[in-house]
Amino acid sequence: MSTPSAQNHYEVLGINAQATPEEVERAYRFTLELYGDGALATYSLLDPAEVRRARGRVQEAYEVLRDPARRQAYDQSHGLASVGAPRAAPSNLRAWPQPAARPGESGGVASPPGDAPVMPPAAFSGNQATAPAMAAEAAPAPAPPVPAAVPFEATPPQILVPLPAPGASPARAAGSSPPLGRTPHVLPEPVTGALLRRYREERGVSLRDIANQSKIGTRYLEYIEGDRLDMLPAAVYLRGFLQEYARALGLDPRRTANAYMAQFPRPWPQE
Amino acid sequence: MSQSLPMSEPGSPRQIWSVGGGKGGIGKSLLTAALGWHLARLGKRVVLVDADLGGANLHTCLGLSGPTRTLGDFMARRVEKIEDVLVETGVAGLRLISGGGDFLGAANINYQQKLRILTRVRALDVDLVLIDLGAGTSFNTLDFFLASDLGLLMVVPEPTSVENGYRFIKSALFRRLRAVAVTDRVQDLVDSALDARNAAGIRTPLDLLAAVEAEDPVQGERFRAEVAAFRPRFIVNQVREPADVAVGHQLVTACARHLGVRASYAGFVDYDETVWRCVRQRRLFMAEAPSSPAAERVRQVARMLLHRASLRLPW
Repeated sequence: MSTPSAQNHYEVLGINAQATPEEVERAYRFTLELYGDGALATYSLLDPAEVRRARGRVQEAYEVLRDPARRQAYDQSHGLASVGAPRAAPSNLRAWPQPAARPGESGGVASPPGDAPVMPPAAFSGNQATAPAMAAEAAPAPAPPVPAAVPFEATPPQILVPLPAPGASPARAAGSSPPLGRTPHVLPEPVTGALLRRYREERGVSLRDIANQSKIGTRYLEYIEGDRLDMLPAAVYLRGFLQEYARALGLDPRRTANAYMAQFPRPWPQE
Repeated sequence: MSQSLPMSEPGSPRQIWSVGGGKGGIGKSLLTAALGWHLARLGKRVVLVDADLGGANLHTCLGLSGPTRTLGDFMARRVEKIEDVLVETGVAGLRLISGGGDFLGAANINYQQKLRILTRVRALDVDLVLIDLGAGTSFNTLDFFLASDLGLLMVVPEPTSVENGYRFIKSALFRRLRAVAVTDRVQDLVDSALDARNAAGIRTPLDLLAAVEAEDPVQGERFRAEVAAFRPRFIVNQVREPADVAVGHQLVTACARHLGVRASYAGFVDYDETVWRCVRQRRLFMAEAPSSPAAERVRQVARMLLHRASLRLPW
């Protein structure tokens, strides 16, 4: 009864129609865990029969979406964007966790319509023509709202965001090639994705190398270097990604992350 | 009583945040104190209100001795102004109003008194009022939660806590809906929803919405708007492993899908031995161990709340 019906396969997994295969995979595992036996978040909301139904629905969605041919057929029959099509508008789920929320903007339990999506003041410099729509919270969603879904057992270490080392040594000066894993270096600001790429390439380090060390998918590393704000995860995770990236290149993790994130327009108090 | 307590003006600089959670002993008071402490450090003028009926102990969290004046004195009109029960904490910008034991749980606090407290609290010349609601889902607790600008819901990754969290959400939302129900018929529907074994089979806000819409489309629309405006924010405390972090995301997803409630995930705080050591010494870990993981998480949560932001996932 309380399980909303009429969800399409994407909604069942909590992803949008442009989700990559990797995202489908991760969303599937998250959702499966959500409806696992005795799962913390659902055991008191659903009876066993409802849980079984929900799980069956997840499985059904996954079987279709994991298979490129079946997914394409499904997309076409449902009028959805096909796989590999350019991503039109970035999803709210990828928005920064907190862009320009107006001070005093009501967003609480007592707020009326609340939490309207806001546009960033400007597109950041980069290879994008238009600024992505960002929202502090998901925009008013059609019922049932597709929630931002999330990490799970495969939670990479960056989910528990590494804390900045209290006395991270403020090693000076870029330019010289630092031996990896020694005193962290600091890049001159602004630290853009292009600068990071140049620095990496100069050292003959491949994205694969960084991925192996950091356990971050090469796709996200590419997004970082491409300044693909629209594709990058929430800031709290992105910060973790950036610190891992920096660490792998012998850069100062905290300062690199701060400098990179500072190039985007939104209020983001420095620690 | 179909009145509802006054809400803040949109754009008002004064904010009331309340911290509830249904279950006791999961660190609400400590985290409320920590959040207040940090926000004061950021330059906000903060007043903490201890409305924990399980035993007012915010002062202990802050390393203070028992309060001499409490909200009870204000309610009993032993003092005239609410400012008279404000206590300095020794931290610049941070003051405390103690609830004095059983405040929200008191059966004899009526609507007028509630209104008086809230009006006066809202009129305090501060930036932020942070209310520690303590455990439970009494009407008074729910009313303060509903009248807040931000309603924070603390859980720990344990079954009892999560159950209580859901109960809190349902109770609060049903209470809100009860207040806006116009006709007897619709009120009856809400009342029946409060009984877990009601004949109508209404178990969740989603069920209630459907029933009300069938009964009275106009009120159904109003209900839908109220449900949409109800945005509790989860904070997961005592996180020990990555899977515990994911619990917050799962709660948000489950709320959306199975309750129809748009909750969000404001952050999490690690289980941290340092915190315990500080508690035992009656010191606040924010001040004693500012570089501890828990302290860093509290700062992250504060940032999220200030920006009305929430944790989201990479897909």
